[in-house]
Amino acid sequence: MVGNTVIQPIGIRKRGGINGFVKEFLKQVDLQLLVIPGIIHIIIFSYIPMYGVIMAFQEFRLGDFPGMSEWVGLKHFRYLFTDPNFGLVLRNTIVISLLKLLICFPAPIIFAILINEILNMRFRKTVQTISYLPHFISWVVAGTLMFDFFSVDNGAVNSALLALGIIDRPIHFFGVGEYFWGMAVITDLWKSLGWNAIIYIAAITSIDPDLYEAAEIDGAGRYAKMWHITFKSILPTVILLLIFSVGNLLNANFDQIMVLTNQMTNPKLRAFADVIDTYVYRVGISGNRSSYAAAAGLFKSVINVMLLLTANKIASRTGHEVL
Amino acid sequence: MKRKKTFGDWIFDTINVIIMLIVVFVTLYPFINSLAISLNDADDTVRGGITFYPRVFTLRNYELIFQNKLVYNAYLISIARTIIGIITGLLFTAALAFGMAHSNLKGRRFYTILCIIPMYFGGGLIPYYFLIRSLGLMNSFWVYIIPSLVGIWNMLLMRTYFMGIPSALEESARIDGANYFTVFFRIILPISTPILATIALFIGVGQWNAWFDAYIFITEQSLKPIQSVLLSIISEAQFAQRMAQAAAAQAGPVDVGRVGKGVHVNVRSLTMATMMVTVLPIVMVYPFLQRYFIKGVMIGSLKG
Repeated sequence: MVGNTVIQPIGIRKRGGINGFVKEFLKQVDLQLLVIPGIIHIIIFSYIPMYGVIMAFQEFRLGDFPGMSEWVGLKHFRYLFTDPNFGLVLRNTIVISLLKLLICFPAPIIFAILINEILNMRFRKTVQTISYLPHFISWVVAGTLMFDFFSVDNGAVNSALLALGIIDRPIHFFGVGEYFWGMAVITDLWKSLGWNAIIYIAAITSIDPDLYEAAEIDGAGRYAKMWHITFKSILPTVILLLIFSVGNLLNANFDQIMVLTNQMTNPKLRAFADVIDTYVYRVGISGNRSSYAAAAGLFKSVINVMLLLTANKIASRTGHEVL
Repeated sequence: MKRKKTFGDWIFDTINVIIMLIVVFVTLYPFINSLAISLNDADDTVRGGITFYPRVFTLRNYELIFQNKLVYNAYLISIARTIIGIITGLLFTAALAFGMAHSNLKGRRFYTILCIIPMYFGGGLIPYYFLIRSLGLMNSFWVYIIPSLVGIWNMLLMRTYFMGIPSALEESARIDGANYFTVFFRIILPISTPILATIALFIGVGQWNAWFDAYIFITEQSLKPIQSVLLSIISEAQFAQRMAQAAAAQAGPVDVGRVGKGVHVNVRSLTMATMMVTVLPIVMVYPFLQRYFIKGVMIGSLKG
């Protein structure tokens, strides 16, 4: 910052240099005093943990001052990649996330396009309003509802399936490991469908109606318009949100999985449900292997950032608006 | 749409309406069913078949949970963390946003970068856990409040709003000798009620729904919020359910876990009543809430 006097935007740094900066700073000390508490808060609660990740390269023992433990290099990462448990956890994380990306990502887009085709405004608003509701409840409440909905005794789903003669004995949906991936997707869809559609509905509302008329004159049918105008118009929004989703790929929703598995008490379920976040919690906080768990957490964050940057790059290469 | 409806349109519209009705039904049914169960006599519920409304109406389940000191106390904790969380969070976040809305703020670029990075990268749970530990926030009510004083995302929303306020308003006050504190508290905050309400709702819902902080940082039962109580109830209910299933395999139908002294309560009724009181405040403010939230999402989507 010091001594760099080449091309300054007009009015930003008239005086330049460190003295000028201090003077200007002191002039607006009241403004700074409004900002600084927030900045300090961010430094403490976001940056100190970032610095704390170096414990992934150390042998942290309880009572150690963070960052001052013995260095062990990549030892924990070597353990991580040879640990069959971590392999399982990685598999679950990737499968659950990809399933969600495949189903829970496009569903709100389809929902938004379909809801746009509803011409009765009152019905449309009612459907929308109701569809948001699950977003506002916690996963604990959602879990309670879902457990009961899929419950073995008198749960709505089992009752309906029994009544329709599709099954002859109730299915323990949340008790069987093999079903967990499906249940994770279904419950996530239930909770987020309406809310995630909002942004697409907003994008659709801002489409110029002339486009539809022009398309109609060109002889476009209903489906052609839905595809060529509605969908193509919201494509930039879709791409943007897709980039974010890819950047979150290894976050498989800790809340949801902890609640739906009853905090991982059932080992049969755990084999299919344990994801990186729950694993980090289990080995790190319950199991006291802090450095090892921090390594797993760091691995996740780094992969996520790399995925985000890659997705962003691909999107910009293909000429889409990006981050 | 001047075009006449064709047969194909008619079919499409019908199917579309059916899909929407299915979405509505699937979304609402679990809530309605739970409400019905929570208002139904526990013994009767065991017989099954409760769908949209209670068969044998009673408020007994609600009486029972509020007689439980744990539930009652947890409810107060939830209310306290929500109210205190909203006030303090709003103040700190707004102050930061107000400063950041000024293009003449010294160090603004640096501050901005400082705020953006944590949105994409974080230290993860373990270092965070040890931070909270060394700050002495374990088993303290303040662990609900202090770490969430500033929300970066909320700050960006507020900043966008503040930047839209005509600067003449502030300048005239400044010329009259008002300092930035006066401007912030006396001028900016009073005229910013729409954004303050929006963020207050964001913070409030977040606080009311939070359970993870209590789960890992609090062992003291008297500091647990209502979400934690519900979480332990559903774990036990599942446990009871498994036991009931094992029993059912040996001898005919059994009513699920009897609790209390001679009082017939089934775990399901208790769970549902607790669930209902947990969700009640949200459902009550929800109609007002959603409009604000949607606005927030829109501002957010314009990219911070």
